Amino acid sequence: MSRPRRLLVALLALALLAAACGSDDDATPVDGTDTLGDATITVYSSRSEELIQPVFDAFETATGATVEVRYGKTDEITLALEAEGDRSPADVYIGQSPGAVGFLDQAGLLAPLGAATLDRVGAAYRASSGNWVGITGRVRVLVYNTDRVDPAELPGSILDLTDPAFAGRVGVAPGNGSFQDFVTAMRADLGDEATGEWLAGMAANDSPNYEKNGAIVDAVARGEVDMGLVNHYYLLEFLEEDPSLPAANYTFPEGDLGSLLITSAAGVVSASDQPANAEALIQYLLSDEAQAQSAAGESEYPLVAGVAAPEGLAPLAELAAITVDLDVLADGLRGTQSLIENSGLIQ
Amino acid sequence: MAVLQTSTDLPAPLGRSTRAPSAPWWFLLIGLVLAAVFAAPLVYVIVRNIQDVSRLDEHFTSSATWDPLGRSLLLASSVAVTATAFGTALAWITTRSDIPLRRLWMLVAPLPLVFPSFVGATALISGFAKGGLLDRAVGPLGFELPELAGFWAALFVLTLFTYPYVYLPVAARLRFLPSSFEESARVLGRTPRQVFTSVVVPQLLAPITAGGLLVFLYTVSDFGAVQLLRYDTLTRVIYANSLADQPRVMALSLLLGIVAVLAVAAERALGRNHSESAMSNRATGLTVPLGRWRWPTFAAVAAFVGFALIGPLASLAHWTVRGAASSRARGALAIPTDGLGEAIGNTVLVSILAAVATVVLVLPIAYLVARHRSRTGMVADGLVTAGFALPGLVLGLSLVFWALSNDFLFRFYQTLPLLILGYVIHFGAQANRATQIAVASVPTRLDESARMLGAGRARRFITVDAPLMMPGLLAAGGLVLLSTMKELPATLFLRPTGFDTLSTRIWASMDNLSFAKAGLESMILLAVSAVLTWFLVLRRSDAL
Repeated sequence: MSRPRRLLVALLALALLAAACGSDDDATPVDGTDTLGDATITVYSSRSEELIQPVFDAFETATGATVEVRYGKTDEITLALEAEGDRSPADVYIGQSPGAVGFLDQAGLLAPLGAATLDRVGAAYRASSGNWVGITGRVRVLVYNTDRVDPAELPGSILDLTDPAFAGRVGVAPGNGSFQDFVTAMRADLGDEATGEWLAGMAANDSPNYEKNGAIVDAVARGEVDMGLVNHYYLLEFLEEDPSLPAANYTFPEGDLGSLLITSAAGVVSASDQPANAEALIQYLLSDEAQAQSAAGESEYPLVAGVAAPEGLAPLAELAAITVDLDVLADGLRGTQSLIENSGLIQ
Repeated sequence: MAVLQTSTDLPAPLGRSTRAPSAPWWFLLIGLVLAAVFAAPLVYVIVRNIQDVSRLDEHFTSSATWDPLGRSLLLASSVAVTATAFGTALAWITTRSDIPLRRLWMLVAPLPLVFPSFVGATALISGFAKGGLLDRAVGPLGFELPELAGFWAALFVLTLFTYPYVYLPVAARLRFLPSSFEESARVLGRTPRQVFTSVVVPQLLAPITAGGLLVFLYTVSDFGAVQLLRYDTLTRVIYANSLADQPRVMALSLLLGIVAVLAVAAERALGRNHSESAMSNRATGLTVPLGRWRWPTFAAVAAFVGFALIGPLASLAHWTVRGAASSRARGALAIPTDGLGEAIGNTVLVSILAAVATVVLVLPIAYLVARHRSRTGMVADGLVTAGFALPGLVLGLSLVFWALSNDFLFRFYQTLPLLILGYVIHFGAQANRATQIAVASVPTRLDESARMLGAGRARRFITVDAPLMMPGLLAAGGLVLLSTMKELPATLFLRPTGFDTLSTRIWASMDNLSFAKAGLESMILLAVSAVLTWFLVLRRSDAL
């Protein structure tokens, strides 16, 4: 009886010790003044640690400020921020999805950004409200299995995928944020009726459902499904772990809606007590240096003009990717969600 | 409702008093306060629905609600049945039979619970898929594996990962059930199967129905597995609408809450009619020889545990080896492990704290229910249990809401104590029934004798009740321990900023498609849980 108890105490002590050793140095207290040097800036990020932390580290080195980052899933980070409202500890929000950042903007939780910040990127890559700015972008593509698909049969437009020739062959992720952003863009571009018809056409084609982009790329690489609608970088990640996979990305030509550019966006949280520091961090994310760093490490497209695209990817301008300002839709995500649900696409 | 009944053909149990002693007022007050704490998520859902009732009737009458709800109920009841069958059989085999490697099975049987369902499902899917490990193993033999998707796949996967909810409490009960009943029945010429159905099962009804209820509620709330396996349940609809349509999310969550309350009531009707029976105070040595069934049983157990444990493990190991080989080929560092030690420490810390705190906090409610037959206790018990049906997203949001609701709690927002409280509220349901069964297992006659000898309440608890309850309490704590280690949504909402656990790291790795890293971290999670289960649960419950 006593030996196990001693063991329990020892284990607990060990755990406490590990937790104590692991925690970072005490955070510098925030005094409310906007002096970058000793400030601690809190970031809520749904961009993953692996992708974006190196840029924060560089910012800390450059300015002496401390960046505390709370990583999480898009929906959960966004909902927590909404629930916190004006009591939020966050200074900066970084989201993977224009839908989620638009949700916060519409809820009045983002503060306006200065022109100097907004003007770093083209008008297509920032909010018309001026409350958020795109920092990097990914392009929607059709990933296909090179053993099972002849490149000649790839369609000229995403709208052609409802053709019976593609029945059962195109994987989709109707519950995924990027797919939803794409549908929202389609609504803004072609209207609800045409979008509903396209979704119904994809449903009539029995397009297999997947949970998210990664699962589609995995299924395509294994030959479970011939093609799939995904973001461009998933395949790059897969090839890094297994370069022998028989899969390739196809980009729809000539500014087709299928090659939509989806931005990762940043904004200053209106509850922040140091908005100038928060904006300084966003400006840093848009600096040539940080943009080049993201392009090198993330395989995402930098949005600032003049910064080269990641190695191995076509330049943004050549892709003719298009961006749609999602703000134009009054019922935003909810309208998109109900269109998708009513189309019968979800299996 | 909780009338004592003598059950069918058993000898009269020891020391049954005909009337339960009523609880002192201060004890009822503690029960009420605890009930309020555990009710927090359900109250949040109700408040949100009251704030916006405009479309409530629309949501409650729409086929867009009822169709997925029907699928949720079908899946949850099916998984409850299969997991109960497998969990009970496995518990009997590991505690009562002479199956080869019995100690090994006792150690590994509870472990599949520790796979986060998104990890377990992904690993099994990739094993079954065309070109996956299992496919490559059986493909050349001419077998074609079914695609792992839809209802049957969800039933299969969730059964494999939830049967420990039944296994643990049933095994705990069996280990301390007097073997005299079974021995008498055997002497009277009953076959082992007759002994099992007519003597053992009635004694196990309470832990079986309690475990089955947990499986049901877990399945209703699960998102990770059903979305990966493409089975469109109500929880999947809730997640899909989390940003798009919050009033709908809250209406559907309320519906899940109602389902949970009904399920709790049903379980009580089913499982509560058991007679309070005697427990022996030392582990019983009864072993049923399986005879010629010994090796077939061994093969069946190995196959089942193999699917639940080795199957996912093989995929995880495969990811890790493949990723390490390919990064070595590029000259990169094999698999980045910085911060892993800290995440392990954090995981051990929060899971032990959560397990201990949960058992301590449900214990008063268990006393009210099992010892005092108190109505307040019954209500508290219902609230503790029903909350488990709420998806992690809704639970996390509710705790954020309550933390922001007043200045006192806000001071603890995004700190360790509130994270632990979140686990306690979420997993109270898991410890709840097992703890009640533990309390009920103490013959009230012993307690009365001690009282007559002048022992105070505290002394009676320490010297009489606690030692007898220990196996049940350890089973309760063990469930919470394993569940906390894998918990993700509430952890993401409530953790201190920068606080990583193994499960948050696994999620981040999977999110980045770093399967090699996710595989390694999942195997570490499994190893840590095996070590903790061994030292904190199994060894201690055997030593008693």
